[in-house]
Amino acid sequence: MSDEEMEYSDTDYDDYYGNDYEGDMDHMIPMKNDPEYFDVACLTDTEVERLLNESVEQLSNSIQVTPSLAKLLLHMYNWNQVEIVAGYRQDCHRILASAHIKPPTPPQSTTAKDPGGENEGEIICPVCLGTIAPETVGKLTCGHKFCKDCWSMHFEVQIIQGISTGIECMANNCQVLAPEDFVVPLLKHPVLKEKYQQYAFADYVRSHPQLRFCPGPNCNIVVQAKECRAKRVICTACKTQFCFKCGGDYHAPTDCETIKRWLTKCADDSETANYISAHTKDCPKCHLCIEKNGGCNHMQCWKCKHDFCWMCLGCWKTHGSEYYECSRYKENPNIAHESAHAQAREALKKYLHYYERWENHSKSLKLEEETLAKIRARTQNKVMAGTGTWIDWQYLLDAAALLARCRYTLQNTYPFAYYLESGPRKDLFEYQQAQLEAEIENLSWKIERAEMTDRGDLENQMDVVEKRRTTLLTDFLQV
Amino acid sequence: MAATRRLQKELADIRKSGIKSFRDIQVDESNILTWQGLIVPENPPYNKGAFRIEVNFPAEYPFKPPKINFKTKIYHPNVDEKGQVCLPIISAENWKPATKTDQVIEALINLVNEPEPEHPLRADLAEDYSKDRKKFMKNAEEFTKKNSEKRPAD
Repeated sequence: MSDEEMEYSDTDYDDYYGNDYEGDMDHMIPMKNDPEYFDVACLTDTEVERLLNESVEQLSNSIQVTPSLAKLLLHMYNWNQVEIVAGYRQDCHRILASAHIKPPTPPQSTTAKDPGGENEGEIICPVCLGTIAPETVGKLTCGHKFCKDCWSMHFEVQIIQGISTGIECMANNCQVLAPEDFVVPLLKHPVLKEKYQQYAFADYVRSHPQLRFCPGPNCNIVVQAKECRAKRVICTACKTQFCFKCGGDYHAPTDCETIKRWLTKCADDSETANYISAHTKDCPKCHLCIEKNGGCNHMQCWKCKHDFCWMCLGCWKTHGSEYYECSRYKENPNIAHESAHAQAREALKKYLHYYERWENHSKSLKLEEETLAKIRARTQNKVMAGTGTWIDWQYLLDAAALLARCRYTLQNTYPFAYYLESGPRKDLFEYQQAQLEAEIENLSWKIERAEMTDRGDLENQMDVVEKRRTTLLTDFLQV
Repeated sequence: MAATRRLQKELADIRKSGIKSFRDIQVDESNILTWQGLIVPENPPYNKGAFRIEVNFPAEYPFKPPKINFKTKIYHPNVDEKGQVCLPIISAENWKPATKTDQVIEALINLVNEPEPEHPLRADLAEDYSKDRKKFMKNAEEFTKKNSEKRPAD
């Protein structure tokens, strides 16, 4: 986010001329017309803890329940405080029951016979069948009584399986959940307490619509956004770039479902693509792709009926029939079969068209990372040779960063186009895509060959490319 | 050990109850964690025989569920060729420490008597059971006569 803000702030001259009525804030807000603008905050776990606790405290005060119950309520209702408070005022029992904090029907009064116990003085724990003293009885709102040792064991087994907020009462068919303040004091090992807190924290973040774990490896950052939208997030700690909504790699202008379909398709079809390159050749006459599905090297193109040799792609007639022992390829003249075949081939051709470009841009992105190292080396040489200062050459690094960002978007336009239905919208999209692509290749060319500190031409090109990218996103990014 | 005390009590209770559809319970004195018993179903096609099962309790019992295996071959949509049975009450997600073995056995007997083709372990049998009950019954009866154990006299 920060380098983008830098760019835009350059164009923000207003403050220089004294009309800073909005103060510094205006300076900080990226352009409203930036289609990728997304307001997020990267939080550490302590900050998240604080944020969650604030919600818990608010709810606990407003409906007068213990913080532990408030936390469970919030977790079960995806942290929607408004809904909880409204529902609670209307029918508190229904809210508590549907969050599994209370049983759906109130427990029988304590004077009634306890499950497994004869009277209040002497209770038999239904789990270990041992007699328990009244002070070592533990029960949840459902009233099922068990000895504290059994509760501890139950929690331990559940936590080891990775369960925390979802630990239920031990009674048969009882779905009442054990809140934090019931579980934690009964845990005997500090390690278990730590594990429990850790799992519970992860559960709370996952149930919170405004929070997402950064998917970066070993990154503990939690990203907060006001709305759950398929927008770009760049983690301030590990610089991982991802989509807030689906948590996958950022994919504008394609939406979350389409990119998922595309990636699944690519994973499924990559073998097909490999197969095609390994087992097919183009007909030397009409250039149709031919698969060699047998050992015989005599090929006949099903479309133009050209006979040729698989090995040398030369005309078959020149080979002489006595040389090859194989029988002639008998083509099935079944039209229906052919048309289905042709359809499948056409579909594959379409897919490969988009896939090749998607793959190619992905490769270019990697190659351009190497360019970055070259730029650094070139800058070093130039400065040593006295051509400009180090600062003079910094614009090249900015240009390379911009190139990477634009190419990334370009790469992601291919799955979008693949699934786009034919029509004027697709025509417009592909027109804009072609424009963007042309300008990107222009920029890439210029960056690789920049030999002067004259930045005018290159900066002009940068501006053109970014404008093309923004226009495309403004027109087609609908998330 | 919590498991031993509880299993001894459960075993005694089941033996005392004299339940007809689960009997001949054999437990090795040195290892109370493994039980064997005879399931005697009432509904056709399984009422032509009896089926030996083994119940294995984990050391963490009752905090972890027991496992049930059929030792006698049975032609049933919910029991696979190895004798493994899919019984929701003893799955790790559903298990409750307060659930008692007689409830588990009861659930098992109900499943044997009334197969549940909606979540089968043997899809081919489930399909026959749902679509061609006659064929299923014929096969199951023949299989039962051939493979199952003798039903107790009383």
